[in-house]
Parts: sequence; structure tokens; C-alpha cells
Amino acid sequence: MAQMPALIPKEVEIQRLKKIWLIVIAMGSTAASVEVDNFVDGSLHQTSIRDSAFTPAHWWLYSHFVALPLGWASVAMYDRKVPILRGPNNSMNTGLKMTILGYLATMFTIGVNEMWHFWFVEEIFAVPNHWMFNMGVVVAFMGALAYVVRVYARLVELGAETPGENPYVAEMYKMALEGKLYSRAIP
Amino acid sequence: MTLPKGFGSGGAGGASSADVERMIGKRVENMTGVITISFIAAWLATFGGTAAGYFYYPWAYPTPSGHYAFIVLTIIEAIGYIFCVKVTQEGSNKNSNGLVAGTIAAVTVGTILIALFVGN
Repeated sequence: MAQMPALIPKEVEIQRLKKIWLIVIAMGSTAASVEVDNFVDGSLHQTSIRDSAFTPAHWWLYSHFVALPLGWASVAMYDRKVPILRGPNNSMNTGLKMTILGYLATMFTIGVNEMWHFWFVEEIFAVPNHWMFNMGVVVAFMGALAYVVRVYARLVELGAETPGENPYVAEMYKMALEGKLYSRAIP
Repeated sequence: MTLPKGFGSGGAGGASSADVERMIGKRVENMTGVITISFIAAWLATFGGTAAGYFYYPWAYPTPSGHYAFIVLTIIEAIGYIFCVKVTQEGSNKNSNGLVAGTIAAVTVGTILIALFVGN
């Protein structure tokens, strides 16, 4: 990946990338708190049998399955102001697309999950009604990682973030920016 | 450099610093206030959630569990808050370490008092 020409003034781009960064941090905190909250909840009840879906941890869990697709959608709208983050054929960034699709899947799975639990009370992780939650979150995380790395790499390119001082790490950043990190055998 | 419609001097020449400022809008390094308010609001909402648990659903969510969740979630929110402020202010001449330290200290004291005295 060569250094891309600036399409908007550098200072404007840095500020916009950082605004995206802020939304991502807020959503990252939300996702992390849901993961922890779910373990706190699961350690006490409905680990194997559902007693009530209306516990605080479940409110938070369900809210985040709606909040995150909406949050990422807001990133997608703001993202249009940063030309470097455009995807193939001037479309949306592929990582961002994956994230939104992944979390949309979890959002719609809330309904499927509730319908399933109307008949079955098992709450173990692996029951089929949870499959789309798990797959959706994994797809979303993969996409989010790709997107966040792209934003970070651009902030490094613009000089707003400093790559690692360790020369080995700095070399890895340089290779990543050149698109050679994972293809050393294929120059 | 081509600027969006309404910016620059009609196609000729580049962006003036006024144009750049107008394109930026509110700078991230000036958002510390709203970030701090958001963090405190998130912390209070977390307390509201756990309080609803141990006041209204004590059979499902006993008070010690609520306190544990509240403390852990407060820590996660605080980490997010610190990241947000540091990201916005790096590379600028702004420094809100005092505000961040004060907010975190106040929230820490509040969390300890709530964990000690609130709940059944």
C-alpha cells in the first residue's frame, strides 16, 4: 500500500479519523462491558436454564445488540467524509461492511432467540438459537479489527500516531503499511 | 488540492487556514467536557441498571452480584474514558490530566460508597 495522496487537508483528515476513533472506543467499552456482564450474570443464574430474560445483565446484553449496529452505522455515515476509508468501487470499507452485517445479524437474532425460548429453556452457550449471536459477533469483530487497523495505519501515515519505538516493531509497521507483513514470500 | 463545494477560492488556489477550520468543525481536543459528562452519565446508568437488579429482582440478581458487576463495569468505562481523552489530546497543547484524575477519583469514591452502603 503506497502512501495515498491527500484528498482533504491533513489536519481535517486527522480530526475526522480521531472522531471515528472516539466512537470506536465507546463501542469497544460497551462490547467489553457486555462480555464481562454476561459472565457475571451467567455465574449466578440462567447458565443452564433460563429463569428470567429481564435481569440487568440481559437488558444490557440486548441493548448492546441494538446499540452496536446503530453505532457502526453512524461510523459508516461519518466515514464518508474520509476519502481514504472508501471501499472497493467507492463503496463502503469492507471491514466496516462486515461489522455492520455481523451486528445486524445479532440484532435480528434477539427475536429468533426469544421465540425459541418460548418453547425451550436451555441457556447453554451452544444451543442453536445462540448460533447466530456467536457467528454474528465473530464476523463483526473480524470486520472491526480490519477497519480499526486501517484507521490506525492511516493515522500513522499522517504522523498523528507514532509507531512503536522498538526497531523490530517499527519495521513491522512499515511492512504493514506497504502491505507486505503477511506476504514476505510473495514480494 | 480540490476542496468541497463552498470551500476555497473558487477552484484556484488551496485551502486557507480558515477553510480548514471550517471543515474541521469542533476539534476533538475541545471535546473533553462532553466526553467527561458522557462518562459520568454512563457510570450513573450502570448504577441504575444494577440498582434495578438488586432492588427489584433480588431473586435473580443479588446485591453482591450487582455490586461486583457495577465495580467491574465502572473499571471498563473508566478505561474507555481515559483512552478517549488521551486520544483527543495527543499531539495538541491541551492537557486535561487533572480533570481526568479528579473525575476518576470522584467516581472511585462514589463506587466504593455505593458498594458499601447501597442495596439490600
